[in-house]
Amino acid sequence: MEGRPLDDTALVERARNGDVNAYEALVQQYQELAFRVAYQVTGNAADAEDAAQEAFVNAYYALARFRAGAPFRPWLLRIVANEARNRRTAAGRRMALADRAKAAQTSGETALSPEAAAEADEFRATLVNSLRRLRDDDRLILAYRLFFDLSEAEMAEALKCPTGTVKSRLSRALGRLRAVLPADLRLPAAAGESNG
Amino acid sequence: MADPIRLGDADLERALRDLGRRYPYPPTPNLAATVRTRIVVRPIAPVRPIALWRDPRRLALVAAVLLVLAGAAALINPATRDVIAHFFHVRGVVVTRVPSPQPSISPNPLDLGHRTTLEEARSQVDFTIAVPPALGVPDAVYVDSTVVGGEVALAYNPRPGIPLVPETGLGLLVTEFRGDLSPQLILKQAEPGTRIEETSVNGDPGWWLEGQPHMIVVIESPDRVRPETLRLAANTLVWEHGGVTYRIESKLLKAEAMRIAVGLP
Repeated sequence: MEGRPLDDTALVERARNGDVNAYEALVQQYQELAFRVAYQVTGNAADAEDAAQEAFVNAYYALARFRAGAPFRPWLLRIVANEARNRRTAAGRRMALADRAKAAQTSGETALSPEAAAEADEFRATLVNSLRRLRDDDRLILAYRLFFDLSEAEMAEALKCPTGTVKSRLSRALGRLRAVLPADLRLPAAAGESNG
Repeated sequence: MADPIRLGDADLERALRDLGRRYPYPPTPNLAATVRTRIVVRPIAPVRPIALWRDPRRLALVAAVLLVLAGAAALINPATRDVIAHFFHVRGVVVTRVPSPQPSISPNPLDLGHRTTLEEARSQVDFTIAVPPALGVPDAVYVDSTVVGGEVALAYNPRPGIPLVPETGLGLLVTEFRGDLSPQLILKQAEPGTRIEETSVNGDPGWWLEGQPHMIVVIESPDRVRPETLRLAANTLVWEHGGVTYRIESKLLKAEAMRIAVGLP
């Protein structure tokens, strides 16, 4: 398969006809996104890996039912999110706590003073923890839009809801996030400059 | 020091975008490899049958399958069996010529039976499994118990010197079964683009099929054909030794396949 990389539609079409290599290329392309979306739901790596793997296998066998020419990414994410929801076990939730503790150390802003970096870390850890307290659907819609940059049309497909309702759902999810944020939470002094 | 600023809507969205860029995800596992091994062994679901008569190419495939089945039925007629078995002197394999190329739509991927280990496979078939020393321990082992005496498949992933076979997703496949018990187990349909050559391996009779991938169908018993096994096979060396029929499927050239075959214990 030399030359320019094939786009999703061409790869999907080949995979539908039993071309395992074409499907492997799709998995390569989306495994990071799928794993991260699953992780947003499960909150722990083991369940997220399991869910993403199962989703790719199930999606392969469901390709025959996939509408030709439709966008692959949101369709895949819907399967991923479903698999991830099915894997939220008690053990998984305990592991999620451990992962969340690690999430507090999100640093990497070497330009900041140690105090400012610590403040930014704490702020982000608070956001991570507050997001975790939301329902899956709210966290997912926020993640799709603000973490993974999905378009409104893609979000509608991934969440299986009418395009017209995406905006209002997003704003309601943001409102519910605000409601669980600590009342005294303030933007860290350096946050305004770290944008970009 | 300035007072921290109260969080507005735009600030919250910006803060979340910023968090998205730095979110401490665990490293992404390599799913592609695992998913691949899981899907190569099971056929993809067939395309909706409702579309059948609307798509002439699909219809053509159905016609081709029916032809294959009719051909298989003729072969297992006792009157013709001996003639064919004699003519195609490798028991267990029947090679037929088909005049025109098959419709270019997807046959099934591999169906090799159930996955097992080499040790377990040895007790599940009633012949001695030969592992090619040139290739070493297979990456996966399958046993098909529906074949009389059992059929074992040794699967090797692509690696330097063993190119990928797109039709199977594997590098090389060695299959072994009791050809003396199932004289017409495998029906191979060779198009004009497939070259068929009579050959011998360590003095035992064999065939070499090369070029255009050919269709193969497994005939389970005199009254049962397994159409789901219709699939494409790559270059194939097939021969019989001591009642066992061996096949090597790969993209390798004849000399290389032959080197693997003559080294079999």
